Amino acid sequence: MMAKELFPEAQEIRKGRIRIETQKDKVGEIIKKLKDNGYEHFVMLSCVDWIKEGKFELVYQMWSYQYKEHVMISIKINRDGESMLSMRHLFPQIETYEREIHEMFGVNFIGNPNLKEFILEGWPHMPPMRKDFDTEKFVKDFYYKIPEVKEE
Amino acid sequence: MTIQKEFELFIGPNHPGATGNMSYHIWVEGDKVKKAETRVGYLHRGFEKLMEKRIWMQNVPLVCRICVPEPDVNEAAYSMAVEDLMGWEIPERAKYIRTIILEMARIGAHLLTVGGIAASLGIYTAAQWGVGDRDYLLDVFEEITGARVYHIYIWPGGVRWDLPKNAKELITKVLDYLESRLPLYDDLIMNNKVFVRRAADVGVVPKDKAVEWGVTGPNLRAAGYEYDIRKLEPYAAYDKIDFEVPYYPKLGEYEVLSEGSDIYTRTAIRMLEIQQSIKIIRQALKDMPEGDVILKHPQWFAWKVPAGYAYTHVESSKGEFGYFVVSDGGKKPVRVHVRGPSYTHGINVLETIAPGLNIADFAPTAISLDVCPPDIER
Repeated sequence: MMAKELFPEAQEIRKGRIRIETQKDKVGEIIKKLKDNGYEHFVMLSCVDWIKEGKFELVYQMWSYQYKEHVMISIKINRDGESMLSMRHLFPQIETYEREIHEMFGVNFIGNPNLKEFILEGWPHMPPMRKDFDTEKFVKDFYYKIPEVKEE
Repeated sequence: MTIQKEFELFIGPNHPGATGNMSYHIWVEGDKVKKAETRVGYLHRGFEKLMEKRIWMQNVPLVCRICVPEPDVNEAAYSMAVEDLMGWEIPERAKYIRTIILEMARIGAHLLTVGGIAASLGIYTAAQWGVGDRDYLLDVFEEITGARVYHIYIWPGGVRWDLPKNAKELITKVLDYLESRLPLYDDLIMNNKVFVRRAADVGVVPKDKAVEWGVTGPNLRAAGYEYDIRKLEPYAAYDKIDFEVPYYPKLGEYEVLSEGSDIYTRTAIRMLEIQQSIKIIRQALKDMPEGDVILKHPQWFAWKVPAGYAYTHVESSKGEFGYFVVSDGGKKPVRVHVRGPSYTHGINVLETIAPGLNIADFAPTAISLDVCPPDIER
């Protein structure tokens, strides 16, 4: 069955692109149902920082080879330390996406034992993909403190 | 004296078996791999973060830098996402030009990979040939776009400028040359007993798990699935072009020597795709209509992209390359998330299939999955 038949709340934003806005406790159920109904390819898990709203948007994206349709399952969680349940039991690659979002946005995924360092190394600062992390200011504060080498 | 049974080894970041600046940390017992971990972070440049700071057009020269062997897929997918949000339909001629550029890039990337796979099994000549033959394609790219590696040629709304007058002759000459070279590659690699014995039924991705694990592209087709985004959701001019998608067990002139989904089949699929790409370019050159190549849109610095979500994907030489773009209606994107095919191939898939491999088979397995670290780090 196609996503729009399974979930009446699904919106078709463009041909072949479906968006489902939902709550965080329903995500597991929706992914499972889609997986059992021909949406067998988990494309990716994205995180968007809506800093003005104080929310992180997690977008679980799936594709059906059968229906040629891409589904984006979107949930919003609070920016200040709200955690999310891990979905790694449904698709193994979700583990890596969660590991990255944990490192880059600081979202905690309960049930994922592998949230160790991924791309960064020994990073004590704010997770860098958050909108309030100012790259230019960080560079100035961090690297400009290193004294210049002067000629004797 | 106690005997240490287990050893830790580092493959990369500077190793012929590691494709680019990444490394694998492996644990071996005797010559068997017990466990593998992919380590990235050696070339992180924060492209996605930078994109949020730049206006839509400024991101075009940035995205191509995500992949060196095949930069054009990034330009295409990003441009398609912007066009999607803007509601633009690009001129017909631009679609054909995009097809030609993308297929030339695919041939170049496949030559590097096939050469790399062969080199990891000791056939170093193939790697030299691959790099050398790709260079002729780069010469053509230079004539068309002005640059060899990063072309910045596919723009939102079409392509930057029309093909030069002699483009057809230039491209045809290189295609003729490459076609004459392919039988030599077959003699050197595909018909080579050493290669067949080392590559057949080695580094197998379980066929029943391939889709679930997020395997895409030639690696998925080697596992027996006829899935290709060029056919499933045609972009550019692929819907008007007649071409075949090679997949296991339809290996054309190559013998089916294994159960599929192994190094041998992955290499055969890539060799067959080079032939198909040549066919596609020839047809596109023949059928290409005259006309505009780029939309007459407002000044680039004034673009405001309507708010919304877009996901566009293209079939790269490595698999599904996707761009998830979010706009709030402003001059800059809110978020651009790149889905590189190597994200799943290089981490989950490789870490899962590595245990049990002979240590000498690890590098060929990794390279036959065609892992490109910037897909992971962006």
